[in-house]
Amino acid sequence: MNSARQPAPATDAVIEIRGLNTRYGAAVVHDNVSLAVHRGEIFALVGASGCGKSTLLRETIALQQPQSGSIRVFGVEVVGLNDEGALPLRRRWGVMFERAALFSSLTVSENVGMVLREHTPLGPRLIDEIAAVKIALTGLPANAGSKYPGELSGGMRKRAALARAIALDPELLLLDEPTAGLDPLSASGIDELVRQLRDALGLTIMMVTHDLDLLWRAADRVAVLGEGRILGTGSMAELSTSGQALISEYFHGPRGRAACEQAWKQK
Amino acid sequence: MIANSNTEPDARADIRPGNTPLDLRCSGAWVLREIELLERKLSGYAWPDRGQLSIDASTVTAMDTSGAWLLHRTMRSLQQAGRSVHLLGLRPESEALLQLVASHAFTAQTTAAPGMLARLGQQSWRNLLSALGMLTFLGENTIALLRSLAQPRRIRWRPIMHNLQTAGFEALPITGLLSFLMGIVIAYQGAEQLRRFGANIYIADLVGLAMVRELSPMLTAIVVAGRSGSAYAAQIGTMKVTEEIDALRTIGVGQLELLVLPKVLALVFALPLLTVYTDVMGILGGMVMARAQLDVSFSAYLGQLDEAISLSSYLIGIGKAPVFAVIIALVGCYQGFQVGGSADSVGRQTTVSVVQSIFLVIVTDALFSIVFSWFDL
Repeated sequence: MNSARQPAPATDAVIEIRGLNTRYGAAVVHDNVSLAVHRGEIFALVGASGCGKSTLLRETIALQQPQSGSIRVFGVEVVGLNDEGALPLRRRWGVMFERAALFSSLTVSENVGMVLREHTPLGPRLIDEIAAVKIALTGLPANAGSKYPGELSGGMRKRAALARAIALDPELLLLDEPTAGLDPLSASGIDELVRQLRDALGLTIMMVTHDLDLLWRAADRVAVLGEGRILGTGSMAELSTSGQALISEYFHGPRGRAACEQAWKQK
Repeated sequence: MIANSNTEPDARADIRPGNTPLDLRCSGAWVLREIELLERKLSGYAWPDRGQLSIDASTVTAMDTSGAWLLHRTMRSLQQAGRSVHLLGLRPESEALLQLVASHAFTAQTTAAPGMLARLGQQSWRNLLSALGMLTFLGENTIALLRSLAQPRRIRWRPIMHNLQTAGFEALPITGLLSFLMGIVIAYQGAEQLRRFGANIYIADLVGLAMVRELSPMLTAIVVAGRSGSAYAAQIGTMKVTEEIDALRTIGVGQLELLVLPKVLALVFALPLLTVYTDVMGILGGMVMARAQLDVSFSAYLGQLDEAISLSSYLIGIGKAPVFAVIIALVGCYQGFQVGGSADSVGRQTTVSVVQSIFLVIVTDALFSIVFSWFDL
């Protein structure tokens, strides 16, 4: 880890969520949820479909407001923040959306370069070069930069979205389902990439995922969200031995066992 | 922003000669916000002519990918110039980052933008292909139509009725209003000239002929192209983006029979009917203006109209409408099928569909004029 990057607040939590409540009408999504993501770790949020993982992610990046509670990112309160207030924070985190959300009228290289163009005074040549490095870092071939998102496969679009998310060298990377819709080979490439980025750039990564392989291979800490609250937090090894019924259901289905065995074989 | 300054070390990034010119010292934070300054320094740097360079990076306090890229690029260009470069003292984590960037470094390939002539050629080729594609589409639809006529069971009446309503009936207010206004404008412009010659009654000839023969079919076609042609392109284009077209093909439903033919058939019926309606509205507009400006009574106006407009003029006007209808429906649908997978593309093709169909309508109208004058109609 890069020791030169001193944490801003006294605690080393990059994201600190306390007493979060979210409701859609009568449906309670989050009921007094609290969790913390520490600097330099790969934190994963898991849970059944519709349990509010993505909502939590959206609230963390100030795209959506919870009913009550506190979310502090880099020590700054995000709840109640308007777009203008969130701007300094937004430059410090990168977000990769589930469906990539690349701008379809721009090439991949322009998608990545756009972020740099908006937020830095760099010249066009250097922007193109840095964009090309980011694109290469995500494992895309060199000619992908000049293509439009419509011309790419789903997996390549995901990688391009990741390249855009790391364009500004963010301190915090938020990934929504980074491997969903990818073939196993591309998905394991993403595992590798997520770890490499964390090690090389000293990133903090928070991701929402269903991918058990990704959890075993990349996540340092995992929180299981269910019934509107955090059912358990810990490493995969800890969670997989948890006695909690819902957690073991999640990790000990047939696919969960296979991923676990795979992970043990590799160790 | 206060928090930001805490997380990054404040030291400015720098590179300067050390004890000897061959000995360089990098210092500070080689991060994105410093890169612009650094690049300027590096590009203006007077590298010593010969000898082994060594770069001491032990005082670099932080490095991100852009900093690593700049360092890598500098070292690479020196090495490519035949110099040997040594890098010392970089922190292990920055060293790892530099390795990562180096291993993913692309070989700078600037594909030159195509020249004027090449662009012209590419554009011409694209236009040619598009014209050919349009022709193919026309052919495919003709075959689909003939097949449907051979087996009338395959004709889909429900979408035809739906399209008759949306493209025909629902267009009545706007086409009627525009045509009424057009009649007023023509009568108003003509009134001054006709009064000068005391030929007031010929206002009926002026408005009647202009509307029935030329303006009303074209005006209606243009409004329908903007209203319905664009809707066709957007609908089919969006269906293409969401893979509904592929789903239709998988289920074995003919896309042309379901999506294109009903639109074409409905519009072929609707546009002549709309044209009759706009004829009437235009003439009414002229009639109101004739009474107001030239004191031509309604009965005199209508009586003159009977002499002014021959049956052939009327039929020529109405007869153009089905041709315009085919153009509008086919261009709209064809451009919809040309959409290539993105929201941006839907917008582009919709625009193209409107521009192309209006263009083709006017060109066809001009062709009709030439042909009719040959036949003295």
